[in-house]
Parts: sequence; C-alpha cells; structure tokens
Amino acid sequence: MLAMNKIKILGITVITIAATVVITSCKDKRSTGWEYAPNMYEHIAYDPDQKNDNFKDGKTAQVPPAGTTPIGFVRFDYPNTHDGYELAGTEVKSPLPQTQANFADGEVLFAHFCSPCHGLTGQGDGLVVQHGFPPPPSYSKGQSSRGGAMKDLTDGKIYHTITYGLNAMGSYASQLAPDERWKVIMYVHHLQTL
Amino acid sequence: MRNISLILKQFSRTVLLIAGFAILGLSAHAQGDATKGEALFKANCTTCHKIESQLVGPALGPLVTAETDDKWLTKWIQNNQALIAAKDERALKIYNQFNQQGMTVFGSFTDGDVADILAYIRADWKTQQAKATAAPVGGAAAADAGPSDLVIWGLIGVIIVAFIVILVLNKVIATLERLMLKSKGLLPEEDLEEKAPVDRMAVVRKLAKNKKFVFFVILCGTVACGSWTWVTLWNTNVHSGYQPVQPIHFPHDLHAGVMKIDCQYCHSGAYKSKNASIPSLNVCMNCHKVVKQESPEIQKIYAALGYDPKTQKYDSTKAKPMQWVRVHNLPDFAYFNHSQHVKVAGIKCQQCHGPVQTMKEIYQYSPLTMKWCIQCHKRTEVNYKGNAYYDNMIAVHDRIKRGEKVTAASLGGIECGKCHY
Repeated sequence: MLAMNKIKILGITVITIAATVVITSCKDKRSTGWEYAPNMYEHIAYDPDQKNDNFKDGKTAQVPPAGTTPIGFVRFDYPNTHDGYELAGTEVKSPLPQTQANFADGEVLFAHFCSPCHGLTGQGDGLVVQHGFPPPPSYSKGQSSRGGAMKDLTDGKIYHTITYGLNAMGSYASQLAPDERWKVIMYVHHLQTL
Repeated sequence: MRNISLILKQFSRTVLLIAGFAILGLSAHAQGDATKGEALFKANCTTCHKIESQLVGPALGPLVTAETDDKWLTKWIQNNQALIAAKDERALKIYNQFNQQGMTVFGSFTDGDVADILAYIRADWKTQQAKATAAPVGGAAAADAGPSDLVIWGLIGVIIVAFIVILVLNKVIATLERLMLKSKGLLPEEDLEEKAPVDRMAVVRKLAKNKKFVFFVILCGTVACGSWTWVTLWNTNVHSGYQPVQPIHFPHDLHAGVMKIDCQYCHSGAYKSKNASIPSLNVCMNCHKVVKQESPEIQKIYAALGYDPKTQKYDSTKAKPMQWVRVHNLPDFAYFNHSQHVKVAGIKCQQCHGPVQTMKEIYQYSPLTMKWCIQCHKRTEVNYKGNAYYDNMIAVHDRIKRGEKVTAASLGGIECGKCHY
C-alpha cells in the first residue's frame, strides 16, 4: 500500500510540475504580459511616434511650420523645377572640406541610402533593381533625363536631385540632413569617374 | 512590233518587281523588329515608362498606338529637347503636362532602333488588350467559383441542421420510451439513477478523511501556485517575445533579408538620434510608388497618404497617420540613446534586435532588462580612438598628473545639456 502511494505521489508531482511549466510557458505573444507600475511604460511625456490628441492630425511628430529652418540646416531656395535645377547647378557648391573623413562618411551613407537602387559602384544595378525596380542610369556611363551625361553632373544638380527626387527616385530630404547630402555627393563624384 | 512588246513586257516586269520590293522593304521598315525593340525598350525605357500604365512618363501603349505620326515620334525619342526648343506644339503639350520634366535624350538611337521600339510597344499593347478582353471570361469563371463557396457553406449548414433534427428526434423518442415504460410500471430504474450521485459524494468524503491524500493535494497545489508565481514575477515587465499585430503586415525578412536594404535606410535616426525612428510613409513611397501597387497591404499606405496611384497625386485632406504598435518600449526611468550605441560603439543592430532579417513579423528579441544591459556593459571594451570626448578625458587626466587645476567646466560641466534636458 505504501509503495503504491510513493509511486503515485511521485508520478502526480511530476505531472503537476510539467503542467505548470507548460501552462506558464504558453505566453500570449500579442500581449506584453504583466507590468508592474505600467505608467512607467505608457509615458506621460510623449514619444515622437506616439498618438497625440493635442494636434489636429493626432501625431506627436509634427512637420515644422512652413518657412522655418532647423538649427544646423542651410536653406536651399531653389524650386523643384527645371530652371531651379539648372540654377542650382551653376550657383551651389559643396560647403564641406574635401577630407578623407567626409569621403569615408559619404561612402557609408551611399551604401545605406543609395546602393539599394544605384548599386555599390553607381552603375544602377542595386539589389532592388535586380528584383524589378526601374533601373536608374549609371553615374559614369548614363545620360541624365534632364540633359547631359551623368558624369558631368555638378554639386548643385546632384544636391537638387537628392533634395527633391527625380523620376522614380523620391526625395531624400527627410532621411539625409544637408551635410550628409554633401558627403554623399563627394562619394558620387568619385563614382562618376569609374 | 514583237520586239517592242517584248521590251515593254520586260520593262514593266522589272518596274513591278522593283516597286514590289520597295513596298515590301518600306512596310518591313515601318513595322520594325519587335524582338529587337523589346531588348532596346528594356535597356533604355523602363526606368521611366511602362506600357500599360503611367510611371514617371506616360503609359506608352495607348499613347504610341494613338499617335500614328512615326516621324514625329522618332524625332521626339531621339531628341525631345530640340523639339521643345523649337516650340513644337505637341511636344510642348506633353512637356507641360509632366511638370516640364523632359525626357532623356537618346541621340544614339537610329531611325531603325526607334521603329523597332515602336513596333514592340504596339505589339505588346495589342497582346495586353487582347488579354484584357479575354479577362472578362476569366472574370466569369471567377464568378462561377464564387457561388461554389456559398454552396459549401450551404451544405455545411444543411448538415448542421440535420444533426440538430436527429438529436431532437432522439430526445423525443427517449422521452416517449420512458413514458411507455412508466405506464408499464417500471419505475425502479429511476431509483437506481438517484442512488449513483450519493455514492460519488461518499467517495469524496472518504478521500477527504484520508490525511495522506489531503496533504498530497495541498502539496501539489502549493508547488503549482509557487512555480506559477515564480515564473510570473520573473517575467513581469519583461516583454521579450512580444509580437503585436501591426496595421500593415511589414515583412522584415523581405526588405532586410532578401533585398538587403540597410536597417538605417528606414530607421535613419538610429545613428544620429536617441530614437531609431519609425519611418514616415514617404520612405515607403521611395519604392512603393512603383513596386507592388496592387498589393492590399501597399494600398493601406496609399490610403493613409491620400495617394491615388492612377493620377499619382496626393490629397492631404484624406491623409491620416499610420498607427504602428510600439514593440521595444523602455520604461521612463531608463534612458537609452541609439546613436551612442550605433555610431559611437559601432554595435550591429542584430546584437540587440536579433535576426530581424529573418523575421516575417517583428518581435522583441532581447529582454531589455537591467541585468541584460549591465552584462553587455561589463564585457564591452571602449574604443576611445577618434572620439573627442575621450580625447578630452585623457587631456584632463594628463593635467591632473601634472598637478594643474581641473574644474567641472573642463569635464563638460557647463554644457547646456548637463542641466537642461
């Protein structure tokens, strides 16, 4: 009788432990689970990507009012037209010193933001293009849709294109700050010679 | 006389032959070679044009089919900017229609190349239209497939109803049989049924008196509750594995894995700000203005932006913000800065966020607990080279060694952010 009980007790203990492990491990992946002091997780201060009823459109991250310039930004007052493009091409020059550090930064930024389409060597053969995106012209061999060879594009023309976008390319103004655009342009000038 | 007629005959034959060849040649030239044209089209035109719909430039299929003046088309394709400069009416109309963007000049194309391309466009548009007219048949077939779903559901419904009917009938039969048995005086059976629950209760009572059993039940209960409490408390405030449903099914495995788009292309704040930032929809539109326009998930982007893919125009009055669900969320008592980790320390995103490039649906990989942070901070060696902050630290250290005065200001004590944040 006792021996029977021992086996029974051991068996049932094992089953309970296994059951608890199973029950507690089935966590609902759609929920964050228990939170102690949840007001520390649902901030009172607004996160940039949080809903905000204080604004009409319900966003915390508001677009800066028209005509304002963020600190560190240099204004680029050339309109998104063909004339604006040509004018920028003759008037605007890179304000950055041509240093090795800036060039290296430009290479990294180019790899992150441009190479998916333009390819690491600027031939317009990036991985996204290989999957069917319309290919951009090669920096060194292609023709610009706004006239002239791609290899002759000047500082201002490339800056205008990065800022406003062209054809299938969108504007990169929200992803690249002005100094970052100039760093990218330094690297693009190198790719134009390939 | 005979001679003259013979000469005439021969002459007329040659004239006819030459004329025939000329017509053949001309028509062949006008038709162009569609296969050659296809290769040229794909190499030069697809950057901005699609045959069936507007991309950067107009949809070429209907346009080129409607425009029969091949000479003008050839001039436009070879050098549209010369036509515009010459104030050609048709050229100016298109130029202004597309915001004076102009088209790439293709001076290298010969007349034959252009004829090939035009032939390809017209042939392809024709086959596409033929397919489109054939499509209604397919549509009808699809419509036929529609009712089959209905039929299946109808059948399932009928089966369920049939089961219910059978059950109800069974019950009715049972009660009728009982009534018949009652009328025959066979009641003792019901007594037996009443005795059974009493017996069960007796078993429970017997077990409750068994001290060993009671102890065992309490022990099991304590072990179960204890382990549940332990695990729950241990996981309180730990969100690892959290995988909320997002408003758009964004597959990281496709974008970061297959396409190998860098994390920072979208999360461009990661190397220059505290917040890695969720991309605004204009970043999606860098590609999805063109890619996968028909996908219902991409349509959600268009809806949120008030964008009409047909006219390629934005209507800001219809725009509404996309409400992504935050996955990685630190409590207010912890400060974390992405740029410090990504730019200064040079840590790979995957070290904390896990194999995002293989995730179909994003989830939290690391626990983000204090223990987890501390473990890494204990292991990680500082790369102080080329970092002005550490250069200053070393300079200050040298001054201390020389016995010079070191103030709080020389350690950055009067920087704005030290007090105002």
